[in-house]
Amino acid sequence: MISLRDVNKTYPGIVPLHVLKGINLEISKGELVSIMGASGSGKSTLLNILGILDNYDSGEYWLNGTLIKDLSENKSAEYRNRMIGFVFQSFNLINYKNAVENVALPLFYQGISRRKRNNLAMEQLDRLGLSDRAHHLPGELSGGQKQRVAIARALVTQPSIILADEPTGALDSTTSREVMELFKDLNRRDGMTTIIVTHDPNVGEQTDRIIRISDGIIR
Amino acid sequence: MRARLFDIENWKEIGATLARNKTRTFLTGFGIFWGTAMLAILLGGARGAKDLLMRNFSGFATNSGIIFTGRTSIPYKGHQKGRYWTLDITDMERMKEAFPVLETVTEQYSSYGVSFRNGKHSYSGAVMGASPEFTDVMVPKIYSGRFVNQADIATERKVAVVGQKIVNEIFPGDPSPLGKDILVNGVTYNIVGVAGQTNEINMGARVDESVILPSSTFRRAFHRGNNVDLIMIVAKDGVSIADIIPEIKRLLFVRHTIAPDDLSACDIFDVSERFEMVDNLFIGVSLLAFFIGFSTLLAGIIGIGNIMWVIVKERTQEIGIRRALGAKPSDIIVQILSEGIMLTTIAGIAGISFATIALGTVQYLTANEISTPRFQMQSVQAMTIMATFIILGTFAGLIPARKAMNIKPVEALNDK
Repeated sequence: MISLRDVNKTYPGIVPLHVLKGINLEISKGELVSIMGASGSGKSTLLNILGILDNYDSGEYWLNGTLIKDLSENKSAEYRNRMIGFVFQSFNLINYKNAVENVALPLFYQGISRRKRNNLAMEQLDRLGLSDRAHHLPGELSGGQKQRVAIARALVTQPSIILADEPTGALDSTTSREVMELFKDLNRRDGMTTIIVTHDPNVGEQTDRIIRISDGIIR
Repeated sequence: MRARLFDIENWKEIGATLARNKTRTFLTGFGIFWGTAMLAILLGGARGAKDLLMRNFSGFATNSGIIFTGRTSIPYKGHQKGRYWTLDITDMERMKEAFPVLETVTEQYSSYGVSFRNGKHSYSGAVMGASPEFTDVMVPKIYSGRFVNQADIATERKVAVVGQKIVNEIFPGDPSPLGKDILVNGVTYNIVGVAGQTNEINMGARVDESVILPSSTFRRAFHRGNNVDLIMIVAKDGVSIADIIPEIKRLLFVRHTIAPDDLSACDIFDVSERFEMVDNLFIGVSLLAFFIGFSTLLAGIIGIGNIMWVIVKERTQEIGIRRALGAKPSDIIVQILSEGIMLTTIAGIAGISFATIALGTVQYLTANEISTPRFQMQSVQAMTIMATFIILGTFAGLIPARKAMNIKPVEALNDK
């Protein structure tokens, strides 16, 4: 599903910063993995590259059989939309749109009709047990509910992978556990390939495999 | 973009973002509203004001002149300076012969402090003597009956065209006393018409406040002999009165033995010059109106650009989320531009509507029986204003929209 071969990334500057120093990584379909590392280790940069949010300088990144390299803005937007479901630490819901509208937003950018995308969005919310919160604004939801709405949004386009950046970072321990259960459930039931970036060892332990990165290299 | 432009979500979103900060949206919109209204009111107002001023000339021939006599200022061929002289009928005949470019050469007389009487009602005012050609120079308003005609002149008929105000004074309750008699300085004249004046140009006296007799009748009754009080001329189209004034003066000065370089002996009032002056004045006023209105509008549009910039800044994170979820740069640019265009369009329409109502009110208040000054914009003008600032509004939104487009999803997501 994911294959990185000798990926390098340097941030230019007066003192150029070599962040990723030849990353080699294979993640198979249906895996639930975590990427762990201290801050400054390059894990955020790796996440951005995996999420097609950022470019890399050399090497190759294959996602679901597609080479992700030197894409135009439009192409990378399209790939992000169709192949990747993002879950963020701070949820990143749009605060003036209700739950259904937030979940339906990625479908809006696919040009899907309003009725159809709202149906698909409702379906996802229903699956995650949020149908009674569908017309609430993010401000009216608890942290756990917000994160579940965000997960529904990530799932709505039926992506190849879910990329979660510290998904439990803003949640208390009970809610964190619930969210992790949800990820595990999705992985087990639907075989959803899931990559969780975290620095929390408890979260890492619950995944099939922990990928440790430090100083730009996978150990 | 595609059909997404027509997607209700798009419009809901625009509405939502504009409604989120109502005060700011209102103030920005007000800038555009005021700019449009100003431009429209100034342009329409300039036109209306011109019509209002032109009303003073209504019914008056544009390409005309009036010849007055004065005292000589230079001794010439045995004549002392300070001599009075008068125009006469021979002058008119000579002018007609010498200047075929003149369409009309006609005389006019006035006498003041004349008493009018009808039974026990009496009034004091001016008497004018005029020929039918008088109407070539100034079209009087005929309330009833007719003006002086050629037969009146030929037979020195004792008929009178009476000014409307005088009729009101001495024929109370009878606005159209045709066929009745009026005593002018004790002499009986038969009333053939009631007349008034539409403009504010006085030649001797206002038509409303005078009794007009046929010029031949006047000459006899008021002992003018062959003299005339003043001569009015109308030039043919395309001929400039100003060009022939020196030649007319030369002809008159030779006949009346006046020094050729005497500046005060004769005054020719060039009406076309006055018209031109008003025209030029209003070209200036229109330009000024346009400049002020356009500047106001421009300030409003810069305001829009400014506010769009702030909106983009504020929504950097939101734009980042959208980009991460698969929004293309063009999606973002369309979204930001639509907001600007929407605001401009609504505020602009409101501005034009407000201006139309304001101008309409002024027009209603200034209209009278003579004319309705056009305090209005041509629809083409309104359309042009609308189109111009929608385009400018788009351009104003373009810079912030480009900035929004260039936001990298990563940067935006980190902007917390």
